[in-house]
Amino acid sequence: MDGPVFFGVRHLSPGAAFRLRQALDACRPQLILVEGPSDLNAQMHWLCHPETKLPAAILAYTSEPPVRTILYPLAIYSPELQAILWAHEHQTECRFMDLPSGVMLALGEAQPDEEEPEENTEWVYRQIEQLTGEEHDAFWERNFEQVEDWKTFQEAVNAFGAQLRQTAQDGKQRTAQTLVREAYMKRVIQEAVEGGVPPEKIFCVCGAFHVTGLRENQPMTDGELAALPQADCTATLMPYSYYRLSSRSGYGAGNKAPAYFELLWDALHRGGPGDLSGLYLTHLAAAHRRAGNLVSSAEVIEAMRLAQALCALRGGRYPCLNDLRDAAVSAMGHGSFSELSVAAADTEIGTRVGFIPEGVSRTSVQEDFYRQLRELRLEKYRGLERQQLDLDLRERLHVKSAQAAPLDLRRSCFLHRLRVLGIHFADQLPSRQEGANWGEYWALRWTPEVEIEVVESSLMGDTVEGAAAFALKERGEACTSIAQAAVVFQDAFLCGMPADARYALSVLQSLSVDAAALAEVAETATRLSLVVRYGDLRRFDSAPVVPLLEQLFLRACLTLEEACQCDAKAAPTITAAIDQLNRLTLEHDCLEKERWLDLLRRVSDRDDLNTLCSGFAMAALLERGEANEELLARELSRRLSPSVPADLGAGWFEGLASKNRYALITRLSLWKHLDDYLSALDEPQFRRALVFLRRAFANFMPAEKSDIAENLGELWGVNQNQAAEALVGELSQREQEALKELEDFDFDDI
Amino acid sequence: MSDQNVQRLPAEELYQRELEALISAESDPIPTGWRMSPRSVLTYITGGTTVKGVEITPKYMGSRRLVEVAIATLVTDRALLLIGEPGTAKSWLSEHLAAAVNGDSTKVIQGTAGTTEEQIRYSWNYAMLIAKGPSPEAMVKSPVYRAMETGSIARVEEISRCASEVQDALISILSEKRLSVPELGLEVPAVKGFSVIATANTRDKGVNDMSAALKRRFNIVVLPAPADLETELEIVRTRVEQLSAGLDLNARQPEEDTVEKVVTIFRELRAGATLDGKQKLKSTTGVLSTAEAISLLANSMALAGSFGSGTITPADLAAALQGAVVKDEEKDRLAWKEYLENVMKKRGSEWLPLYRACRALEQ
Repeated sequence: MDGPVFFGVRHLSPGAAFRLRQALDACRPQLILVEGPSDLNAQMHWLCHPETKLPAAILAYTSEPPVRTILYPLAIYSPELQAILWAHEHQTECRFMDLPSGVMLALGEAQPDEEEPEENTEWVYRQIEQLTGEEHDAFWERNFEQVEDWKTFQEAVNAFGAQLRQTAQDGKQRTAQTLVREAYMKRVIQEAVEGGVPPEKIFCVCGAFHVTGLRENQPMTDGELAALPQADCTATLMPYSYYRLSSRSGYGAGNKAPAYFELLWDALHRGGPGDLSGLYLTHLAAAHRRAGNLVSSAEVIEAMRLAQALCALRGGRYPCLNDLRDAAVSAMGHGSFSELSVAAADTEIGTRVGFIPEGVSRTSVQEDFYRQLRELRLEKYRGLERQQLDLDLRERLHVKSAQAAPLDLRRSCFLHRLRVLGIHFADQLPSRQEGANWGEYWALRWTPEVEIEVVESSLMGDTVEGAAAFALKERGEACTSIAQAAVVFQDAFLCGMPADARYALSVLQSLSVDAAALAEVAETATRLSLVVRYGDLRRFDSAPVVPLLEQLFLRACLTLEEACQCDAKAAPTITAAIDQLNRLTLEHDCLEKERWLDLLRRVSDRDDLNTLCSGFAMAALLERGEANEELLARELSRRLSPSVPADLGAGWFEGLASKNRYALITRLSLWKHLDDYLSALDEPQFRRALVFLRRAFANFMPAEKSDIAENLGELWGVNQNQAAEALVGELSQREQEALKELEDFDFDDI
Repeated sequence: MSDQNVQRLPAEELYQRELEALISAESDPIPTGWRMSPRSVLTYITGGTTVKGVEITPKYMGSRRLVEVAIATLVTDRALLLIGEPGTAKSWLSEHLAAAVNGDSTKVIQGTAGTTEEQIRYSWNYAMLIAKGPSPEAMVKSPVYRAMETGSIARVEEISRCASEVQDALISILSEKRLSVPELGLEVPAVKGFSVIATANTRDKGVNDMSAALKRRFNIVVLPAPADLETELEIVRTRVEQLSAGLDLNARQPEEDTVEKVVTIFRELRAGATLDGKQKLKSTTGVLSTAEAISLLANSMALAGSFGSGTITPADLAAALQGAVVKDEEKDRLAWKEYLENVMKKRGSEWLPLYRACRALEQ
């Protein structure tokens, strides 16, 4: 009996696509049925649109959270796509025949958490790999891609599918799903026959695995059809990229070498699979040359001969990707793949990105994205060139309409939302002017990848804002430390989304109950402080933040003293935290100033804390004018007395010198004291002290150093120029030798 | 020929039975000048099967694909260059390839700083040269010359140790496939099947770097150190067995865990980290190759057989280990001491006897 023609294929297989077109030319069917969600027939039109450039993907996703998706990537060499294109060219009817996307999504949802045993077809593939000693891809390439006529191909693939079906025992759920799908497809075929198409004029393109099922299984009954679950879903066509195809493994979802397969597709159109070797190797050589390397044609020829010999050793007809690559490595890459890796990535994976013409059914996020680009007058930045955009967040007073006034602020929020969504349209550049919080600098660049990222964010919401809110909420829920929560909060603030900022704040609050390191608390408080101080600029009500800021500050004060009992390695983080907290007390009146000053005095006075911290506390007090000359002199003589170990004394000085240097430099008494101290040290102690002092003075500016030289000159009665020269000038040989000697010094315990 | 008292038999004699079995079972086409098909060569090298009742032992246990590339290179009459760290079985593989392809692995030139161009091309029997003048009889043909005449494979070991001008003598031979003897007005064409397998050591890089022109005439295969502990254990075990049988060492084969300890120590010191990757180690100046591990175990067996009970004791092993790890530098001694204290000591009771023996040697 002449039933419908079943043409088994492998998704994303150029050989299958090419033979399929030949088969179609020979069969001249009236109706082509393609494996794909039957409710998405409308997308076919756009796939055939002359402006559409592949790769593209059909994305279906549930409208309700949790969002589930199915993705059908298509490349130019997809058999499904070629069937659709053939139908379009020959004015033949073409439809998808698989379960509607809503049903697929709902079926997947039915038992989402069940432990799925390893997919059994994968197991069969691995058996094949063990038998042939080659990857499954190579097996497929040798045995199917290189078959040269469509009838043989059809028989071979259908037989392979049938065998695979017999050998592989898929998990229960998967088997059930396969059966449901096949029953549905069978029903679609039956409906077509009942609709008056002669069965032999129906041409079905489906995975090789399903051919037996479609031949033998019964069609789905009306009752069964009605019983299928349904999920609300939306579908869209999105551009895709070869890079994405190559990074997703698994049957149908992608393949490792899309650009290589495109070369195979080209080769099939030129003269057959035998042309591929030349194409691949010349492309590789060209890419290698572009990367600045030398490849001679002789080497390409040798690689070709080697590939053929390798292939013959395996009993193949034409070299496959592995043969070609290994031959190239040996003949062109001096035996190491790393030499060729850049060129290989270009030749095998490639950088092709698809394009979908304007007007294609867009996701609502895309709509929103483009609407906002227009409204915010950002459309001119939609180019492949990188362009810079400077924003001034202050209100524009000279414009008339209320809409335009905060234009830059709205732009900033929009760009921050994109950043939160991981859409790489705009990169924020570092601020040029310290403390100018009203200025933001961005570099904008449009790439097709951006489009893909926009479409992907439609899984999180219907608008850019909605999706960003969802992303922020997810991040907020995942936070485990106050520092993370503070970042989320700051992001929400920058995005101009007060509700989400409040949520992040509540997360922050609940996390702040747990103990956290001083540095983390200080860092978090500083982030909050920024919001409190500049909230107005972004029209953000920062009142709810203040109590939390106070709370964190108190926490920091209570733990500070304890934290100062640390080793030399931890001390710099502690002094950084002290500095941050000190700045907070200067900037916010709401924080208890007296408590802070008392604390600083205690840290400065105590002998049992890390001396770097004590020195730094002293410096902070000095800077704030809370310590007088007398106190400084007393501390100096106490800390820098010969009885104190040199490393402790010098550590203290380092802490003291890391802040408000000018105040220090101008105090002549200080240098006098330091001088006395150093003269009093004996040789080994001096050596130890020297190490710390060198470190303390290492980040002084040359100008500062010469000021110090001036001071010392005054003390010693030396000409100031001579002294400055000694300090700033190059080291003499003798000095270098002396320093080298120091290298033997045991720094481990410092 | 096959005198069993020879210290080391060439591969084609040692594995004569295997080669003959493969030749008699041949069913694939054989390239000109070869004794068996490329596929049989592959079987001979990678082993693991039985042909006509003869078990084919594996000769090279690394990546099968690399062996395929090497054989395919010889099929295309290109020269083959094997590159790798010392002790990664370069010469071993080259010898077996020549043995399988031609049944003759003895056309070898050992590259040294003293190798001259004559040794690559030809030289003269000077007594005869003076007596009779230049004549074919007075000529002393190099292995490469003989290989060209017979259409077989010549081997050049450690090519990067030769001076550049000596290396470059190979260029014209490999590209023209002819060798001219102006003294006799001769042009010797290479018979089909002629090829060269050269080996080079990565540690020699920069000593006499091969010129680009010469490199271009080779297909290059880089032989890696064994990928994992299991592979290396397998290699060491089989080779020690073969070696000790040939050397008549009156000692028992080393126990499984002795081999494992040696290989573990070698791998860890080579990589500069413990196998679990948790601890960094000082690495040593020596290479600590698989080949060294093999000779170390054979050495210990010799010690045990000649002066001990016939079983390798921790003391035998400790002496050999120290000799292998600590070459002559103080730095190595430090690295070895640190390894003993930081790693071996903490490995528990199984390692304790070896640790104690090593410690005893240190003091």
